Amino acid sequence: MRPEMEKVVSEIEKVIEGKRDVIEKILTALLADGHVLLDDVPGVGKTTLAVAISRTVGLNYRRVQFTPDVLPSDLVGFSVYDKGSGGFSYHPGALNDAGLLLGDEINRASSKTQSALLEAMEERQVTVDGATHPLQRPFLVIATQNSVGAAGTQRLPYAQVDRFLARLSLGYPDYEAQMAMLRNRQGANPIDKVQRVLTGEELLSMQEQARRVVSKDSILDYITRLTMASREHALVDVGVSPRGALFLDRMAKAHAWMDGRDYVTGGDVQAVFGDVCAHRVLLKDQADGKTAEDVLGDLLKTVENPDRRGRLGGMLKR
Amino acid sequence: MKKRYVGYAVWMALSCLLYFFENNTGTRMVLTCSLLLPVAPAVRRCLFGRDETKTQPRTIPQTVDAFLAREEDEPGEVRAYLPGDPINRIHWKLSAKRDELLVRERARDRTAEEAERETTFPNEASTRARPARWAYLIGFLPIALALTLLFAIPSANQGMRALLNRLFDASEAVNAYVYDRFSVSADQSVGLTAALLATIPASLLAMTLFSGSRLAALCLAAGCVVFQIHFGLAFPAWANVILFALLIVWTLRRPWTGKTVLSVLAGVAALSVAVLLIWPGVDAATEAASESVRDRLSQMAQSFAGTAQELPAGENETRHAHTQSLTEGDREALTDREYRLVTVEEEPISMPHWINYLRIVLLLLLTVALVILPFFPFVLLNRRRKRALDARAVFQSGNVSEAVFAIFQQVIAWLETTGNGAGNLPYAQWDAAVFGKMSPDYAERFAQCEKLFEEAAYSDHEMREEQRQQVLALLNETEQALRMRADWKQRLRLRYKECLWV
Repeated sequence: MRPEMEKVVSEIEKVIEGKRDVIEKILTALLADGHVLLDDVPGVGKTTLAVAISRTVGLNYRRVQFTPDVLPSDLVGFSVYDKGSGGFSYHPGALNDAGLLLGDEINRASSKTQSALLEAMEERQVTVDGATHPLQRPFLVIATQNSVGAAGTQRLPYAQVDRFLARLSLGYPDYEAQMAMLRNRQGANPIDKVQRVLTGEELLSMQEQARRVVSKDSILDYITRLTMASREHALVDVGVSPRGALFLDRMAKAHAWMDGRDYVTGGDVQAVFGDVCAHRVLLKDQADGKTAEDVLGDLLKTVENPDRRGRLGGMLKR
Repeated sequence: MKKRYVGYAVWMALSCLLYFFENNTGTRMVLTCSLLLPVAPAVRRCLFGRDETKTQPRTIPQTVDAFLAREEDEPGEVRAYLPGDPINRIHWKLSAKRDELLVRERARDRTAEEAERETTFPNEASTRARPARWAYLIGFLPIALALTLLFAIPSANQGMRALLNRLFDASEAVNAYVYDRFSVSADQSVGLTAALLATIPASLLAMTLFSGSRLAALCLAAGCVVFQIHFGLAFPAWANVILFALLIVWTLRRPWTGKTVLSVLAGVAALSVAVLLIWPGVDAATEAASESVRDRLSQMAQSFAGTAQELPAGENETRHAHTQSLTEGDREALTDREYRLVTVEEEPISMPHWINYLRIVLLLLLTVALVILPFFPFVLLNRRRKRALDARAVFQSGNVSEAVFAIFQQVIAWLETTGNGAGNLPYAQWDAAVFGKMSPDYAERFAQCEKLFEEAAYSDHEMREEQRQQVLALLNETEQALRMRADWKQRLRLRYKECLWV
């Protein structure tokens, strides 16, 4: 792994013990300039993680707790009549100066609030009363959602879910990790000890480098075959969208860059495939107990990996 | 269209052609056997049911069954859904109506399921379908004993020969082909032999009766035939027909379908054609009919040829006259063998000359095919070898990354051919699989070279000459190690299938 990213990871690990892989994945998504959906039970440290990331990377941290009565104007700001100047003046919302937005329990928000998020996430700008305001760069949304079916929640629409680059899950810490966490919290809160190791500008240049990583035709061919196979799978109702294929490529590039390479391999694609695509796949009702992850695992096993093909993506002559 | 049907059609056409050109007992046998070939399994299945040892339902239907099965797509019975039933079997319409899940069951599946149930729960297996083990004992112990005695006791042995001699006497057709008979004294008694032989059908009958199998009918039929022949008491023909028809009906599997009846009819038809073909010179009318058919065929050949010269009418005439005289009076005078000699001599007269050229051409073709076919694998092999050499040529190519890619793919091919591969995993994850079977430092070198391979495959980097040498060294090491430990099967595979051993 690149030394600069190694530094970031070890800094965050001061606060979140034993979750190195998830931290790396979130940073990868950050490098790929995408948003993350955390699918988790309450109390496993999502907020702490977000705060730690924002501190180490030097991002402006904002948090929105979504409930059914959160309105779009709370996020994107609103215009109010200014008596002194005799015109309308714009009051920015939570998104405007956010570098890292933690949207808690996003699946409790009303649909108009969700749709306000859509533009911000996709185009990195907000529009209020015809005036467009660009957001900060980099802009990362870490949204959490309660498990589907809990009280007061509704399923996120497919279009909304599709905008997240990856869906991750922290999960409970194991014995050692939890012991370490308890021990660390005996004195001061370790979150205060976290230091900034990156600036926003450095992160932007890293994103630029990650974008310049080479994906050869054989890799693009592999991504295409994987996503097309996901659409044709017998148990799948809605497969991976073309946007999903695009995100898969971006995430694979970021993964390769994290690994210190300037080219994507089939292993990179396989490593990020589940995280990027699992929430984009809707299974049919008769999936007899299989989850989207199982189906994607099947695809990885059955779709021929690019190592076995020629350098340009064609079949090897055997 | 299944390949096997095409193959069968070609085979039939060839044997018909053979029969047309070379009309003798050998070609008749060939034609008969090939006629009986496709019906045999269907008839067997009708008589004895599906082969219970095969629990897997047949996926490729065969011959007569196949054609019939395709039409029969009627829905079978419906039963309640059990956990484990495939979802696509559920009868949704009925389920919706009755408010419980119902599963469609086809007749084919039912029999397969029954067969499975029988093999998995032997206690429930119906004794009708298969005789119990002790019944086999009753059946086969006396048979073995009788056969042993037949060969052990000299007088029984002699009696066997005498019996065979008498059989030869009885059948003219068989007689014609058997010139040297067994040397036994004419007054050799056959009583003991007959008694020993009789135990065989008797014990078979006993076994089948005890086990309640339908084989009993077959045994009864055999007994009937022996009785009629031995005592010379032939029933009238219509009585025989009714008797054997009844026996066949008894033998058939109980749930009759149109399929069963058709199969039996096809079997009977094939058998009668076979009998007509294989019994030369016995039935004059049949022989004359087949003669006229052959005449017509040769006339057709002549008209097809067009240019063939009109044969003088006289020669055709004499030939017919000759057959006529044979069928009427001179049968005792001429043996079957001489009769055949006569026809063989006549044939060139009735055939147009170009047929002979055709024969020669066919013969030449056959010879060429016979000469070439054994070498065909080597031709194929040579092409593979050339391809392999081409692949090797890339190893020294000026583009190093191309070379590294090809060399590493060759390493992978070696590992896979010797069964050390890890399938569809990316090669980066192969070292775990390789590690188990090769030395630890080999796995390390493999991992290093795999990195080079990835660089060669997925990046635009310029690669260096020593990297090529590194991967080449790995290839050499792989080849040596795997060649050493390959057993003979793998050696064959390496050498002939993948042509890795250039």
